[in-house]
Amino acid sequence: VEERPMWEPEAWGSSGGWPPPRGARAGPSLSSVLNELPSAATLRYRGPGVLPWGASEEEEEDGERNIQAIAEAAQKELEEPLPSRELPWPLQARRAHRQSHAKDQRTQKSGSRGEQWALWLRRSKEKMKAGLHTLQPWAWTLKRIGGQFGAGTESYFSLLRFLLLLNLLASILKACMTLLPTWLEGTPPGPPGPNGSSPCGFYDPNLQGLVAFPTHLFNLLSGEGFLEWSPLFYGFYPPRPHLAVTYLCSVFVIGLLDLLLILHRSVTPKASVGPGGIEPKWTISWPQVELEEAVVRRQAAVRTLGQQAWVWSVRILLNLLVIALLGTAFYGVYWATGATVDLQEMPLVQEMPLLKLGVDYLPSIFISGVNFLLPPVFKLIAPLEGYTRSRQIVFILLRTVFLRLASLLVLLFSLWNQITCGGKAEAEECKTCGYNYKELPCWETRLGQEMYKLLLFDLLTGLAVMLLIQFPRKLLCGLCPGALGRVVGTQEFQVPDEVLGLIYAQTVVWVGSFFCPLLPLLNTVKFLLLFYLKKFTLFSTCSPASRTFRASTVNFFFPLVLLLGLAISAVPVLYSLFLIPPSKLCGPFRGQSSIWAHIPESIYTLPQTVQDFLFFLGTQAFAVPLLLISSILMAYTLALANSYGRLISELKRQIETEARNKVFLAQRAVALSSARGAL
Amino acid sequence: MGSSGSRLSKELLAEYQDLTFLTKQEILLAHRRFCELLPPEHRSVEESLQIRVSLEQILSLPELKANPFKERICRVFSTSPARDSLSFEDFLDLLSVFSDTATPDIKSHYAFRIFDFDDDGTLNREDLSHLVNCLTGQGEDTQLSASEMKQLIDNVSSWARPGSRREGQGLGLTLSLPQILEESDIDRDGTINLSEFQHVISRSPDFASSFKIVL
Repeated sequence: VEERPMWEPEAWGSSGGWPPPRGARAGPSLSSVLNELPSAATLRYRGPGVLPWGASEEEEEDGERNIQAIAEAAQKELEEPLPSRELPWPLQARRAHRQSHAKDQRTQKSGSRGEQWALWLRRSKEKMKAGLHTLQPWAWTLKRIGGQFGAGTESYFSLLRFLLLLNLLASILKACMTLLPTWLEGTPPGPPGPNGSSPCGFYDPNLQGLVAFPTHLFNLLSGEGFLEWSPLFYGFYPPRPHLAVTYLCSVFVIGLLDLLLILHRSVTPKASVGPGGIEPKWTISWPQVELEEAVVRRQAAVRTLGQQAWVWSVRILLNLLVIALLGTAFYGVYWATGATVDLQEMPLVQEMPLLKLGVDYLPSIFISGVNFLLPPVFKLIAPLEGYTRSRQIVFILLRTVFLRLASLLVLLFSLWNQITCGGKAEAEECKTCGYNYKELPCWETRLGQEMYKLLLFDLLTGLAVMLLIQFPRKLLCGLCPGALGRVVGTQEFQVPDEVLGLIYAQTVVWVGSFFCPLLPLLNTVKFLLLFYLKKFTLFSTCSPASRTFRASTVNFFFPLVLLLGLAISAVPVLYSLFLIPPSKLCGPFRGQSSIWAHIPESIYTLPQTVQDFLFFLGTQAFAVPLLLISSILMAYTLALANSYGRLISELKRQIETEARNKVFLAQRAVALSSARGAL
Repeated sequence: MGSSGSRLSKELLAEYQDLTFLTKQEILLAHRRFCELLPPEHRSVEESLQIRVSLEQILSLPELKANPFKERICRVFSTSPARDSLSFEDFLDLLSVFSDTATPDIKSHYAFRIFDFDDDGTLNREDLSHLVNCLTGQGEDTQLSASEMKQLIDNVSSWARPGSRREGQGLGLTLSLPQILEESDIDRDGTINLSEFQHVISRSPDFASSFKIVL
């Protein structure tokens, strides 16, 4: 039914150049006819008194007035007139428009109440948004960073600022829900002394006698000694019922709040994030990237069967290598966590506090070492697999993410092994109290201490890398002559590595905040320090990236990984809440069968109606209809989306047809007028 | 800003703030930079608002020098009949469109005009190849040969395969030039008009962040 012999897209495209001077041809050409269409004229309008787009001086007066008349008619039809600054006109035209608009508004009666209300509402919403934007700190710094180093680097700092906000909110909530209730009902008691009569041993974290200053310092770094029985860790909090409820609820509230904020951030488009100056590369170098990828794809397409087999065997080999490396790393972390306890019993270690500190930090050292050494290996392996560059980046990122999050999980698994004697409740050491009370009289505090140490060590490694690697490199290679100095000395800000480091640090805090309530506060301070440190390092030692990391990736992929971190951190916390018996000697939940058991008990103390409501929420009579309704809503949304999709393709087809009709008619007009001209 | 003696009046500043997307500091800074381009005897406030600066002088600004589209930008914002000089208000227009707070609509409108090298109201094949050449640089070694250009813009079919497009877009990693041509030419006439351009740019989050100039 569709016939397209008379119309070729190329013909119009290539001949749509300058409209030839009027005198030189017999009649109007195709392009001039199309330029006179009302839609084209409206688009070319640039305001009163200004030449329209694409017009030269020799345009006829008639033509211009024609265009103006059409454009003014189009403007009057606008439902809501645009504010002057949003018109794509030169400044003097906008000025004239504003004056005439103001005059109109003064002469005609102001619109109906509803319109005025809507206008006022819109304006106040805009003002509020503008106000919120000015509240955000470091906006100018971010702009400067984006201008000098690109949008990817700026997104890192923006993420850091966001995590700072999360941690600040979490620490405020924690303070209100754990610290306040603790002191509201009187000072908490001290630790149970060595003469406890409980079958689960005794717990005496305070050091006896005169304690040397270095020991205090080491205790500060490892969370033992005077810190162990302090509001920093779980063990300190007294077993009061109200405190127990708020302590437990704080975890869920913070988790929920963080989830909502992260989702909100990943869904709303970032309007004002952007560089504040010209980027060294004006836009992302599309053509080079596309050509490279085209080369790789062409190579892939022409591979013979033998070559395909070779490439795939190389890929499988490399993946096995990656798995082997990961396995070794995880085993190392597992071993280190287990060995810490054994090594601490050695008398040599007991005598030298420095060595003891080193042994304490063994798991952290292992994890940081593994996270430091393996990603460069991944980066080396990736090009050998023969994928396109963007896919390589994806693989590197996925492997690094897996490495970081899984090493943390391995550490937690190893700790779990120690606490629950490998899950065997009937084992010798775990029979009496349900957990290994000899080695870990207060296992929650121990867990909190591990997370505390991870946080501190992360900060220390960041500092160390900055002071011992980046600055010397910049200084020394500034002194080196020639090209070698330049090549070795240019450092770039590695956005993906740094972002993954941030996400890892935040996951550690999420895991640890139940066992170490002040951890979010510490993390806030840490991130604040980190912001200024990284900014200083960036401006002093780094040069702008040669290959800008796309901001869209940072804004899409990394919030996803952050959510993954949140999900992963929920697993150990929920497991400890529901399945591991709490310590008998410390903490707000001592003496109960599980930490969660407190909640059902406190529900019984609530009024009857509230109890009934809460219990109803847990029954099948509520869950099944809820599930049904959700499925129905989902099916409805899918059907709606489908119908919109079909409507869109239908409309696209119509637009194509209309365009062809338009060109056909214009060609006919040209043919007719030139035929008439020839007569 | 006050030491040079030429200061814009409060009413004028307020008017400029109302009509552009710039803040007061940005307008004052722009005025100062503009006056630096003028010969010393013409630097009073009244003259600076009337006088027009030639294209070469504007292109000497360091913020514009590195930009591959600098000449097109100046031509687009110029309101002189011969399109070869900018007044202070044109300069303000330029900074306003490229500022942080300008709406994406207006940015994409002007981006379209900048990329439309032959001023015919549509982006056709020549415009796109000119655009790619500007992006790859002016040097002999970086410019694409004719065959590479053809491949880049022409062979859309091999790139627009559903698998490749989905994998790229799913991870937000690529929205390449040929895909833009293939996807955004809704009426299939071989050229991209303003509304098609605005539609495809609205879905590219990197565009707004790279379309900025700040003094």
